[in-house]
Amino acid sequence: MPSPALAIAWEFRRRHRWGLIAVTGYLFVVASIRFLILEPGEPVLVDSIRFAAVVSVPLTTTFVYLLAVFSFGFAGDLAARHSMYPARMFTLPVTNAALVGWPMLYGTAAVAVLWLAARLFAVWPSGIDIPVIWPALLAAALLAWTQALTWMPYGLPGIRLIVAVLCLAALDTVVLLALHFKAGEPTMVAILAPQVPLAYLVARFAVARARRGEVPDWRGMLARPARNAVLTRRRDRFPSPARAQAWFEWRRHGRSLPALVGLLLPFELALLWLAKDAPAFVFEILFLALITPPFMAAFTAWTVSQPNPQVRDSYGVPPFIATRPLTSAELIAAKLKMAMWSTLAAWLVVLVAMPLALEWSGTWSVVTEHARRMDDAIGTPRAATVVLLILAGFIVATWKQLVQSLHIGLTGREWIVKGSVLLTLTLLILLGPTVEWIIDSPSVQRALWNGLPLILGILVGIKMSAAAWIATRLDRSRLLGDRALVLGAACWLVAVLALYGVLVWFFSTPFVAHYLLALIAILAVPLARISAAPLALAWNRHR
Amino acid sequence: MSESVVHVSELTRRFGATTALASVSLAMPRGAVYGLVGANGAGKTTLIKHILGLLRAESGSVRVFGLDPVADPVAVLSRIGYLSEENDLPGWMRVDELMRYSRAFYPAWDDGYAEELRQAFALDPAAKIRNLSRGQRARAGLLIALAHRPELLVLDEPSSGLDPIVRRDILGAVIRTIAHEGRTVLFSSHLLEEVERVADHVTMIHQGKIVLSAPLDDIRESNRVGERVPSLDEIFVAHVGRDAAPAPEA
Repeated sequence: MPSPALAIAWEFRRRHRWGLIAVTGYLFVVASIRFLILEPGEPVLVDSIRFAAVVSVPLTTTFVYLLAVFSFGFAGDLAARHSMYPARMFTLPVTNAALVGWPMLYGTAAVAVLWLAARLFAVWPSGIDIPVIWPALLAAALLAWTQALTWMPYGLPGIRLIVAVLCLAALDTVVLLALHFKAGEPTMVAILAPQVPLAYLVARFAVARARRGEVPDWRGMLARPARNAVLTRRRDRFPSPARAQAWFEWRRHGRSLPALVGLLLPFELALLWLAKDAPAFVFEILFLALITPPFMAAFTAWTVSQPNPQVRDSYGVPPFIATRPLTSAELIAAKLKMAMWSTLAAWLVVLVAMPLALEWSGTWSVVTEHARRMDDAIGTPRAATVVLLILAGFIVATWKQLVQSLHIGLTGREWIVKGSVLLTLTLLILLGPTVEWIIDSPSVQRALWNGLPLILGILVGIKMSAAAWIATRLDRSRLLGDRALVLGAACWLVAVLALYGVLVWFFSTPFVAHYLLALIAILAVPLARISAAPLALAWNRHR
Repeated sequence: MSESVVHVSELTRRFGATTALASVSLAMPRGAVYGLVGANGAGKTTLIKHILGLLRAESGSVRVFGLDPVADPVAVLSRIGYLSEENDLPGWMRVDELMRYSRAFYPAWDDGYAEELRQAFALDPAAKIRNLSRGQRARAGLLIALAHRPELLVLDEPSSGLDPIVRRDILGAVIRTIAHEGRTVLFSSHLLEEVERVADHVTMIHQGKIVLSAPLDDIRESNRVGERVPSLDEIFVAHVGRDAAPAPEA
C-alpha cells in the first residue's frame, strides 16, 4: 500500500465488499426504473407505500449499514466502556488525525454520495422540490457524530448507546424544527455544515484518549450494591443445566431488545403531545410504537446468533459454549426461551408506556372514541378479538424476528451468513419494483388472486417438506428424541388449529374459503426454520 | 479399548489443502499424565478438538470413555474438564457467577474444592472476567476445569495463559494429585521442559503425524547416549529436526 490513507480505504473495501456491491446494485436498480422504465418527462405520482418500498426503506437501511461500516460497528461492542475504534489500529505509525480523519472522510463522502445518487437516480414524486445539498450534509453530520460518539470511551457500560441516541435525536430535532419553521437551504446548510468539523474534533479527542488507554471508570459508584448482590446471589443454585444456560442467554442477549425499545419509545410517544389536534396522527404514532419491538428485534436478532469476535474463529461456537455438557437442542432451547422473555419484557415496556403516554398527553379520548365506533360496527367480541389478534401478532412477530435467523447465523459458515445477507438485500431491492409492478397491473393482480390457492399450496408444500426433512435429520442425528419430536409437532398442530379456528370465526364469509384460512394458518405458525436451528448449531459445534 | 480413556484410530483431518492430522492413532490409559508436544501448527489443538467432539472425525474414529464425543456430547463432556488455549470465558460474568453457572452442569461439582481453588488462585469473586489479567483469566478457566473433579482433564497449551508461578507450583501439584487419584490428564504444550516435568507419557506430533509416543522413561532410556540421558528437547530435535522444534519460552 503506498500510503496509510489507501490502506485504511482498502480495509473498508475488502471487509465490506459484498455490502458495497449490494448498495451499488440497489442504486443501479432505482436508476434503471427511472431511466429505462419510465418515459422521459412523464409525471410521477408516487403514493407513500410505493415510495417507501422503492426509495425510503432501502435508502434508510443502506444509510444505517454505512453508519455501522464506517464507525467499525460490526466489530465493536456497543455496550462496552472502551472505545469501539479497533485497538489494533492504535499501534499503527500514524497520527490521531489520520486515524480519525480518513475513516470520517470516507464515511461522510460515502453517505453524501449515497444521497446525491438517490436524489439523481431515484423516482421522486412530481411537484415536490427535493433539496440537494442539506440532506447530504445531514447524512454526513449524522455519520460523523456516530463515529465520534461510538469511538469515545465511557465510564459505564451501556452509556454509549444512550448518549448516541440522545445526541443524534437532538440533531434530528434541530433539523425538524428548522423545517417546521420553513428554513431555506442556506439556513439548513449553515446549521449542518459546522457539524462535521465539530464531530471531527470530538472524535479526535475520543481516539486520542482511547489510544492512551484512558477509559474513565465510574463503576466505583455502583461497586457496593454490586458486592452486596454477589453475597445475596451466592446462595442461589440453578436447579438444572437448562436453567443455567437460559440465564446465560438472558444475561448475554436478553436485555438488549427491552433496553432498545425503552430508549426509543419515549421519543416516539412524545409526539403524542404534538398530535392533540390531529387525531389521525395519534394512530400513526401508536402504530410506530407498536412496530418498534419487531423492528428493533430484527436489528438485535443478529446478536442472538452472534459470532464471537473474541475468539479466533469468530463465526464458530466459542469453545466455552461448545464444551458445555448440553445437547445442541438444549442450547437452542435456551436461546428460544431467552427470546421469549426478551419479547415479553419489551412488550411490557410498550404496554405500560403507551396508556400512560395517551393519558398524560390527553389523547386517550381519541383512542376510546375509535374503539367505541369499532365496537358499534362489528360488535364487542369481534372488536376485542381484532385487538387481541393484532397484539398477539405483533408479539409473535417480535419473537419470530429474534429467532428466525438462528438457522443461518448458527451454521458458523461465513459464506452462508454473508450469502443470506446478500440474498435478503437483493430481495429487498427487488421488492419495491415488484410491488410497484403489481400495483400498476390489474391483470397481474387478477392472476395472483386467481392463483392464490395454488401459490399458498406450493408454499405449504415447501414448508412441510422442509419440516419433514429436518425432522428426519434431527431424529437420525439423535439431536432430538422421538418424544420431543412428537411433542413439538403436537404443539405446532395445536397452534395451527387454534389460529385456524380464530380465522374461521372471524372471517365468517362465503367469499373466503376455509381451506385458504387453513393454508394461511399453516404458513403463519413457525416450524421449519426454528426446527433447523439445532441442526445448524450441531453442524457448527462438531465441524 | 475399554481400558483406554481416549482411543483414537487412524484419524485424518484436512482443512482445504492442508492435512492437519494424518492417520493418527493413540490410546490414553487411565491414570496417565499424557503430554502432547509439538511446534505451533503441528496438530495438537486439532487432535484435542476431536477428543472434545468439537471436530467430527472425517476419517478414522475417536472414542472417549468408549463413547463417540460427537454423537453423545453430554455423556462425554460432563466427565471432562477443559482449559482452552483461547481463554474465551465470558467477559461479562463475575468470578462467582462463573462458578455458579458452571456448577449447574456438573453433578460432581465440589463447592469446597472450588472455593479452595479460588483462594489459592487469589480470584476476587466480585471481579468481572473481562477485568482480570490474562493470567487471572487462565486461573479462572483452570478453576472451573478442576472443580468438578473430572475423570479426564484436558489442558490446551496452559503455558500460553498461566503465569510461571502457577505453572510451576500449582499446575504441577494439581496434575500429580489428579493422576494419583486415578484420573487422567492430557495436556498439550510446546514447552518441552514443562512436559518433561509432569508427564509420564509423551506423544510428539509433527506436521499432523505422530512421530513418537511412549512412556517418558522409555523414551529417555531408548535415547540414552552412554551414561548421558538427553533432554526431551534434544530427543524432539533428533526426531523432527531443529527447524521444526518448538521455540523455547521467552
